[in-house]
Amino acid sequence: MAQNISPEQSGGAGGSSSVKHNDDSLPIKDNHAVSKRLHKELMNLMMANEKGISAFPDGENIFKWVGTIAGPTNTVYAAQTYRLSLDFPNSYPYAAPVVKFLTPCFHPNVDLQGAICLDILKDKWSALYDVRTILLSIQSLLGEPNNESPLNAQAAMMWNDQKEYKKYLDAFYEKHKDT
Amino acid sequence: MASLEPAQNKTWDLSLYELQRKPQEIITDSTEIAVSPRSLHSELMCPICLDMLKKTMTTKECLHRFCSDCIVTALRSGNKECPTCRKKLVSKRSLRADPNFDLLISKIYPSREEYEAIQEKVMAKFNQTQSQQALVNSINEGIKLQSQNRPQRFRTKGNGSGGGNGGGSGVNVGVSRAGHATHGHNTGSNDSNTNGNESDNRDPGHSGAGTSAHSSTSTAAATSAGTSGASTSATRMHIDDASNPPSVRSTPSPVPSNSSSSKPKRAMSVLTSERSEESESDSQMDCRTEGDSNIDTEGEGNGELGINDEIELVFKPHPTEMSAENLLIKALKENCIRYIKTTANATVDHLSKYLAMRLTLDLGSDLPEACRVLNFCIYIAPQPQQLVILNGNQTLHQVNDKFWKVNKPMEMYYSWKKT
Repeated sequence: MAQNISPEQSGGAGGSSSVKHNDDSLPIKDNHAVSKRLHKELMNLMMANEKGISAFPDGENIFKWVGTIAGPTNTVYAAQTYRLSLDFPNSYPYAAPVVKFLTPCFHPNVDLQGAICLDILKDKWSALYDVRTILLSIQSLLGEPNNESPLNAQAAMMWNDQKEYKKYLDAFYEKHKDT
Repeated sequence: MASLEPAQNKTWDLSLYELQRKPQEIITDSTEIAVSPRSLHSELMCPICLDMLKKTMTTKECLHRFCSDCIVTALRSGNKECPTCRKKLVSKRSLRADPNFDLLISKIYPSREEYEAIQEKVMAKFNQTQSQQALVNSINEGIKLQSQNRPQRFRTKGNGSGGGNGGGSGVNVGVSRAGHATHGHNTGSNDSNTNGNESDNRDPGHSGAGTSAHSSTSTAAATSAGTSGASTSATRMHIDDASNPPSVRSTPSPVPSNSSSSKPKRAMSVLTSERSEESESDSQMDCRTEGDSNIDTEGEGNGELGINDEIELVFKPHPTEMSAENLLIKALKENCIRYIKTTANATVDHLSKYLAMRLTLDLGSDLPEACRVLNFCIYIAPQPQQLVILNGNQTLHQVNDKFWKVNKPMEMYYSWKKT
């Protein structure tokens, strides 16, 4: 079925940092095992009914998902909802999926193309992470950015003044309403 | 944190946790402890492939378990650390095989292949409901099967109703509607066979999302179907010939569970089926319990999609307008009372069309010439002696809510319109 088609490796889609985890030189279990795991994740995710996050395959291809994250409460991102894309490599879960924001997100660790700088999606990846934990991690990253290694320097600089930050954020969303 | 302790300083001293904790009391009497399959599953599962552990390997330091293949691949592809807790794993030598655990699994799940087959089946069902394409396919399939069956039963009447309904309305409801429309055209002669086939045919369309619909059917229609605690069973019913003894088929579940028993009692119509009074004796229900739905009850829970309530009806001729002198009633004789079970989504119009079709087929050439055009008015009696005529586009669900309310088969009346 169409679901077992793996995504064509989109060249250079990953972040600027080393993409060693996403290349195809890794030992690859057969595609069936990967799609089986993804199906199980989907089933668990739908059973768990986690608050604040959701994810579902984008169309017929089980290797491409779209997730949503609710902005964590008590942060400047509260009341926002973000859509993200998740692209799973053939070597999943031994390599991390490529996760990007589809909704524009003004955040110290997210660039304006939507790329996310998060260690667990890069060198700290573990085969135990799954869609659920990835989305939860990104959700908590929203409220607790790592300002040491910013992708968006402006956001990192503004972060300390939360009031000002919120004001800027609201204007930012007003501007990006259509996208 | 366990990782604070460097591996080199390994001692046999008790950790803080070990000093604090109370020893677990030993069970000395014959107490048995029941463990739910779900919690068991998380213990026996490999966190990498999310399957049951296969050739278990345990990390020597932190005692986390993985399938041999999974952990070897993980170590080769990623960081040299335990995927669960990030404790350093230098190489394969930091792991040891755990045959005892494999033995434990094989004791709990003696027939692993069977378990896996069931898992695959549940997944396949699940995927079917997830994949829109598959759903569309199954609907088309259903429509095709219906139109294949239809010409055998009658050649003259229009073909479109089943297909039109199925294609037009929403996914799940569409399937059951389409089914209903076809049943409307069932002939009396081969009722038992066609009904049996229909429920089979419809299964692919119903799968996954349908499981709960099936089981709700079972509780509503056949209280006799007992389900075991451990495994949820989907119940499907067939109308079989009386010569076949009612059989119970229960796929053995790998989890030790109380055997599920069901005692089919008497003829009950399920899905959309109809029988007239005299046929009651020669068709008998065979109620089958299928343990195939799942062991972990993982397959259920997404059944909320369907609005598959069913409604039972008793259809009687209108007491005054359809008196014994009426041509039609004369022709029908004792066949004039109808027992119907159908989806609550069907409308009053559906019913009257169905009735017309059904009576035409039953009577055949006996049908008086004057009655060839059958048009019915349908009434309900919220109170005895008070008949209310029903508007054609209400669904049975609405009618039930508005007029009937009590939990017994809805009694409706029909009269023949001469136009």
